[in-house]
Amino acid sequence: MDRDVVAWDSPEPLSGPLGVPLVDLLDRVLATGVVVSGDLVIAIADVPLVRLSLHALLSSVNERVPAPWADGGPL
Amino acid sequence: MTHSDSPARVPDSGATYVFAVCRDTRAVNSADLTGLSGMPGGGRVRLIASGALTAVAQTVPAADFTDEVWQPRLSDRREIERYARAHHEVVSAAAAAGPVVPLPLATLYLDDERVRRVLADEAARFHGALQRVAHHAEWGVKVYRSVAPPERPAPVPERPVAASAPRRGAPAPGAGLAYLNRKRGVHDRRERRREEALGVAESVDAELRELAAASRRLRTHGAALTGEQRVHVLNATYLVAADRADELRRAVGALRERTDAQIELSGPWVPYSFVGEV
Repeated sequence: MDRDVVAWDSPEPLSGPLGVPLVDLLDRVLATGVVVSGDLVIAIADVPLVRLSLHALLSSVNERVPAPWADGGPL
Repeated sequence: MTHSDSPARVPDSGATYVFAVCRDTRAVNSADLTGLSGMPGGGRVRLIASGALTAVAQTVPAADFTDEVWQPRLSDRREIERYARAHHEVVSAAAAAGPVVPLPLATLYLDDERVRRVLADEAARFHGALQRVAHHAEWGVKVYRSVAPPERPAPVPERPVAASAPRRGAPAPGAGLAYLNRKRGVHDRRERRREEALGVAESVDAELRELAAASRRLRTHGAALTGEQRVHVLNATYLVAADRADELRRAVGALRERTDAQIELSGPWVPYSFVGEV
């Protein structure tokens, strides 16, 4: 596992302008409801969650059912 | 791997990046946006008015906002953080002057005229969203369940060996059954914990929804992000009236005492999650 990714959840090192944890911020600025669509299309809303970092950041088993553990998971 | 740092080779007439839409009020017009840098490589953060609405916008190099540039950027931790925080900083600054409808990261138009046209065409929806979020803030609530200590070998009930005589070369009698029982025990315990965790998540959500004007479930985060010691069971977000914020904080405090789950509260946020459904 990429240890580097774990640090994202820690509020301390994320000293952005407003001190908001990055993970919470991305949950909002990426997944925010689209009121209008822009002219230049950047596929963010349906980011293919295959790449290492963002996948780790936003991954879940299922969006609707809060069951992030796969079979054989930690529970 | 920052594409943005390489100088554009072709002249770039720029695209108009829109951070948020708000009412065209005196407060917004006098809001100090000059200190904001906005997107890397962008121009001055400014307002584009149309009718009773105004967009908080900025000219950015179009070459830096193509899908090709952004796909790798979305998976580059430093880059995505840089852009997300730049976006958030401007949205938050605008929100200090009144209600805003934040737009998703990287919403771009070809020019200011296009922005004005969208403001005019979508005016009813923007006003609806502004009305909805005025005097409200978004609060995020995440619930984690700590992971059980490593499971001890399950106690195997002593069972009398089956009466039938073992065949030669066959495994010890009852070994298969014991194995199955053990597996079943592990499985049952895991199921039980999982159901308990879901139950806690549901009751936290149900209670907080009572205080909220609206709520949404965001996706939960995997172990790579939460660590191995806990499982993320609820990632919910609530639109809460400004005068009920204290009530929400107290409710979260009470839930923390009543359950053994870890509950994290974040906010107040500009209501990012509550502007899309109007």
